[in-house]
Amino acid sequence: MAEIKLENVSYVYSEGTPFEISALEGINLTIKSGIVTGIIGHTGSGKSTLVQMLNGLVKPASGKVLIDNKDIWENPKEISKVRSRVGLVMQYPEYQLFEETVRADIAFGPKNMGVEEKDIEELVLEAADFVGLDRELLDKSPFDLSGGQKRRAAIAGIIAMRPEVLVLDEPAAGLDPSGREKIMQSIIGYGKSTGASIVIVSHSMEDMARFCDEIVVLSDGKLLMSGKKEEVFLRSKELVSVGLDIPQITSVMNMLSQSGIKVASNIYTVEDALSEIYKLF
Amino acid sequence: MEKENYFIKTENVCASYEEDDGKSCEVLRDITLGIKKGEYVAVLGHNGSGKSTFAKLLNMILAPDSGKIFIDGVDITREDMTEKEVFDIRRKIGMVFQNPDNQLVATIVEEDVAFGPENLGIPSDEIRKRVDEALATVGMTDYAKHEPHRLSGGQKQRVAIAGIIAMMPECMIFDESTAMLDPVGRKEVMDTIDLLNHERGITVINITHHMNEAVRADRVIVLDDGKVYMDGTPEEIFSQPQKLALAGLEVPQCTALIQALRKRGIKLEGECTTPEKCAKLIIDALGGSN
Repeated sequence: MAEIKLENVSYVYSEGTPFEISALEGINLTIKSGIVTGIIGHTGSGKSTLVQMLNGLVKPASGKVLIDNKDIWENPKEISKVRSRVGLVMQYPEYQLFEETVRADIAFGPKNMGVEEKDIEELVLEAADFVGLDRELLDKSPFDLSGGQKRRAAIAGIIAMRPEVLVLDEPAAGLDPSGREKIMQSIIGYGKSTGASIVIVSHSMEDMARFCDEIVVLSDGKLLMSGKKEEVFLRSKELVSVGLDIPQITSVMNMLSQSGIKVASNIYTVEDALSEIYKLF
Repeated sequence: MEKENYFIKTENVCASYEEDDGKSCEVLRDITLGIKKGEYVAVLGHNGSGKSTFAKLLNMILAPDSGKIFIDGVDITREDMTEKEVFDIRRKIGMVFQNPDNQLVATIVEEDVAFGPENLGIPSDEIRKRVDEALATVGMTDYAKHEPHRLSGGQKQRVAIAGIIAMMPECMIFDESTAMLDPVGRKEVMDTIDLLNHERGITVINITHHMNEAVRADRVIVLDDGKVYMDGTPEEIFSQPQKLALAGLEVPQCTALIQALRKRGIKLEGECTTPEKCAKLIIDALGGSN
């Protein structure tokens, strides 16, 4: 499975104009294979630019993007191969559905990759199952689906390419709590059952703390910190100072320890908080 | 209570929309509600529960199939509503939507804020005053001459809010206005909403998926399957986690923690919807048990 390395990567928008903005500056980062990595940062911190580099959609102005130690831009003609190894689900992907049926939409990726017709159907069905999309919906027009179903169909379109790395930019934005939960569980499920790495961009610290193994924090185009989530959420003051937050339950635990009560600092879920606090009584 | 006491009153309102294949889909069934002047209401419900349809009925973007809606005593479902009356309702009830990029029309922040009052035909020196005041209210005075597309998401939403304030509305509806924002942007917008209600007395209806935002309101209305499923104070609503779960919703993390501790037999007095209150309840209980 694929390990992605960024070496001294920078990117500048509108270079050479008065509106020049540096989106990313000297990023050194390894996205390990087979785990869930979360990327957090304020609006405009460079998250979306960063994830678009992982599959070669954006080319760094300087520095290298390596997949399994091979520079993905060594031979630019081969870049489309990278795009099927690293699947990118952009923000509000349901706006990108365009085929006549859900089935055709999900099949679009594998078809473009040159997968044989007879194998495509199986990939489509599996992808629909991964995202919990009822097979009966496959013959419908994607435009007749509900918002949550459309989102799942769009994610299935990427999963059907069987990427080794699945990258998602705000996959749960705008969904209600149960829709959120379903989407997050199916993404994590895809990673677990195929061994693929998952990279998620999100503003929800609760989701990030719950589902990610490692967290990358960007601020103003620079890498502020990265590492195990336990280490990252310990540095709550720094996170707040760059416009981020920590999970609500973690801030309760922090308040408890500030008032002299001994509790563990790596608590992100209600269940863990419950057993930690229950011990005190 | 008489309808005169309510700023917004709906009576047995039903609404539906037509799907592509001609089938009619019921979105709201028999909604009867009253919202008083100056109230701060959060509306919760899963995707497709009818929240946005409800909001769009109130400022006449949509019309109900049946039932009556009164705004400030005026029946807006009447056949003979004049254009002037419709205009007046839309001025009284301003709406802020989800995507900040779809709501800004001008190339300079202050011109964008002036767009609404200009359309109302207000004299230009009065517009100047209103624009300055509106920008000050949302804390964006320093950005008056900036280009909107270079602002952050939270700043854009605050400019959109200023554009509504400049029309001097009596009620503002926020339709998932923080959904696309980062934590700081969300806080900026929520603090602005609180201020509009607490200091300006503007009636606020905040449609949201974030339970942590709903707890800031005085009253929470939960819609499910097009009906009013729950209606009460945040404390009343969030003390019923099972009932909320049935509507696809959840309680804030800290509320869930207190409820779980209580279930295990630990005595904790009072309801809790914020981390501060949650920590305090636990600290007090521990102090008592030592």
